[in-house]
Amino acid sequence: MKKYITAGALAVMGAIAPQIASAQSATVQQIVERGTMLCSGHNGSYFGFVEVNDQNEWKGLDIDLCRALTTAILGDPDANQIVPLSWAQRFPALQSGDVDVIIKATGWTMGRDTELGLQFSLPYFFGGTQFMAHGDLGITDATGLEGGTVCVEAGTTIERLAANYMTTIGVEHTMVSYESQAELRSAYLANRCDAFAGWGPNLAVLRATELDNPDAHIILSDQLSSEPISAAMRQGDDGFVDTVNWMLASLLIAEEEGITSANVEEMAATPPNPRVARLLGAEPGMGERLGLRDTWAKEMIAAVGNFAEIYDRNLGKDSPYGLERGLNSLWNEGGVLYAPILD
Amino acid sequence: MSIVNVAPPSKFDVARKTFIRNGFGSPLTTLISVIVIAGLAYIGWVLLDWGIFRAVWSEEDVSQCGGHAGACWSVIDARHRLILFGTYPFDEHWRSTLAAIAIVLTVVVSCQPVIWRAKRLAILWIAGFATYYLLMEGSLLGLPQVTTDGWGGLSLTLFLFAAVVLLGMPMGLGLALMRRSEMPVVRWFATILIDTVRSLPLVTTLFTAAVVVPLFLPSWLEGDKIWRVIIAFAMFFAAYQAEVFRGGFQAVSKGQFEAGRALGLSYWSILGRIVLPQVFRHALPSTVNMIVVTFKETAIVTIIGFFDILASGKAAYGTAVWAPYYIEVLVFVAAIYWVFIFLLGQYGEYLKGRMALAAH
Repeated sequence: MKKYITAGALAVMGAIAPQIASAQSATVQQIVERGTMLCSGHNGSYFGFVEVNDQNEWKGLDIDLCRALTTAILGDPDANQIVPLSWAQRFPALQSGDVDVIIKATGWTMGRDTELGLQFSLPYFFGGTQFMAHGDLGITDATGLEGGTVCVEAGTTIERLAANYMTTIGVEHTMVSYESQAELRSAYLANRCDAFAGWGPNLAVLRATELDNPDAHIILSDQLSSEPISAAMRQGDDGFVDTVNWMLASLLIAEEEGITSANVEEMAATPPNPRVARLLGAEPGMGERLGLRDTWAKEMIAAVGNFAEIYDRNLGKDSPYGLERGLNSLWNEGGVLYAPILD
Repeated sequence: MSIVNVAPPSKFDVARKTFIRNGFGSPLTTLISVIVIAGLAYIGWVLLDWGIFRAVWSEEDVSQCGGHAGACWSVIDARHRLILFGTYPFDEHWRSTLAAIAIVLTVVVSCQPVIWRAKRLAILWIAGFATYYLLMEGSLLGLPQVTTDGWGGLSLTLFLFAAVVLLGMPMGLGLALMRRSEMPVVRWFATILIDTVRSLPLVTTLFTAAVVVPLFLPSWLEGDKIWRVIIAFAMFFAAYQAEVFRGGFQAVSKGQFEAGRALGLSYWSILGRIVLPQVFRHALPSTVNMIVVTFKETAIVTIIGFFDILASGKAAYGTAVWAPYYIEVLVFVAAIYWVFIFLLGQYGEYLKGRMALAAH
C-alpha cells in the first residue's frame, strides 16, 4: 500500500516539479504568510550557541543564524519568535510545526537523517573531542602526555575515542574514568589528572568561565574527532533546504570576499568582482531562483554580518570564550568550511 | 506577709525552664547540647559570612567577585529580571508583574472561607485567569502581543501552579464522587481513569500533551501548548487528589448520609451541608501536601521547553560573565520557592486551627 502511495506521490511530483523549481517553498510561503519565523531556542542556556542577555533577549551563534535566515526570508532580523525547546523535544517539535527549523547545536547523524525524517543543511560548525591539560605541563599536543594520567567520563563515545587515539599515536598513559562531568572536573582541578577529554567547544567554555584561572589551562591541538553541526528541517521541502543552504553559503562567501556588515553597502554599490555583484544583488539571480528578493543576502549581511563576524561575536575572539576558529575556518585558511559555487 | 506571685508562669518562662532542664540536666546532655549548639552556630556563621558579610552586592562590583570568599549577589542584581520574567520583553515587564499579582491575589482570595461558594469561586477564577491571560498576551487589550513562547520565570511558574491546582481541585472532587457512585459504569470509568493516570509518570504525561498530541490532532483542535500542558497536569493532580478526597469520604460514617436521607434532604444538600465540610477537614493535611508537591513539580515543565523559574535561573547563569555564580542563582530561586511553600504550609496550619474550632 505504502509503495503505491510513494509511487503516486512521485508521479505527481514529477508532473509538477518544473513549476516548483522557480517558485517559493511551502515552508517559506508559510513563514511569509505568518510574518514570523519560528526558530528553536533552549530551556535555559547553551554557552555560546543559545544564551539570554541582560535585556532578556536571545543571543548566540545559533540565534544569529536564525536572525540571518529571518532576514533572508522576511527582510527583518527581528521578525522571528524563538521557541524554547529541550533537547528531547526538538525533533517532534519540528515535525509538528512548532518550529520551522532547528538551529540548535545539532549533529548530522544517519539515524536522524533517515529514520526521523529530517533533512540537514550544509554543516556550519565542526566540533570534536579534544584534550584540556594543565598549563604548567608546558605541552601543546597529546604526545606530551607520555606517562601521564588522562581522565574521561565513563561510558561515553569520548572515552572510546580517547583510548583509540592514544593507542594510535603510541602514547603510554593511564586512563581514569569518572561517572559524571562534575566529578571529572573536580578530579582534574585537584591535579589527579594531567589532562581530560571532552567536546571542544564545551572545554573552551569551561576553561573561560568555570575554572578560576583560564590561563593555567590549555586545550591541546589534537582533534580526536569532528562532528558536523547542521540546521535540521522537515524532509520533503527541497526549496526550504536550498534557502537555508544558500543562507549559510552566502555568509561564508561574504567572509571569503571580505564583505562585512560595515562595508556591505559600499561593496554593493561598487562590486569588486561579478561574484560579489551577484551575491549582493547588484546583478539579478540571487532572489528569483529561491523565490526571494535579489538583495536578500545584502540585507542579511547588513543585519548580522558575515560568518566570521557571527562566530567571533559569539564564540570566538570577541566573545569571553575566545574559541579558536580551527576547523571552523574557511577552506583557504586551513579550515573545512566552504560554500557551494555561486554561478 | 510576703507577696506571692500566683499568676501562671509565662509561656516563654516555661519554655526556658524546660529547655534548661532537658538540655543541661546531666553532664552527658550538657555535652551533647553544647556540641549541637556549637555546630549550629558554626554553620550559621559560615552561611552569614558567605551570604552577607563577605558578599558582593551590586552589578557594578562584579570585578570584586573573582576569587572572593563571599557570595556574588551581583548576578541577582544583573539578572533578577530574567529569573522573574524569563524571556518576556524587557519593556513589558510591568504586565508580567501585574499578571503575577493577579494570580497570587486569586489564590489568596480563594483561600478565604467567605468565598467558598461554587458560584463565587467560579467568578473569581474566571476573572483571575482572564486578567492574567489578557495582560500577558496583550493583543486583546491593544498592547503588543507576546505569545506564550515568551512567557517565563516566576510569573509562569505561579500561573502554571495556580491553574493546575484550581482546575484540578474540582476535577478531583468530581472523580472522587464518581468513584463512590452507585452506578457501576460511572464508578468503573472513574476507577480506570484514576488508575491509568496514576500509573503514568508525570514527565510522560506532560511530554505527550506538549509534543505528541499535536502530531495527530488537526491544527484547529490543537490549541496552545500551554493549555494542553495545564489540562494534562490538572488531570494528573486530580487523579491523586481524588484519592485524597476518597480517604476523606471514608472517614465520614455512613450513618450521616442515612440520617440526612431520613430527614428528606436531597443528595446535593447532604453532600454540600453535611458530608463535604467533614471530608475537607479530614483531607486537609494530605491536600496541603499535594498542593506543596505540585508547586515544586511545576519545575518539570522545563523539559518540554517552558521557561519556568528554574529554567530562567539556568539561563541567568548560562552566560560567560555569570557562569561561576550558579550557587547564588540557585539559592535565590530556592528562597523564592521557600517563601511560597512556607506561606502555603502556614495557610494549612491556619485552616487546621479554624476547622478544629468548627469541630468542637
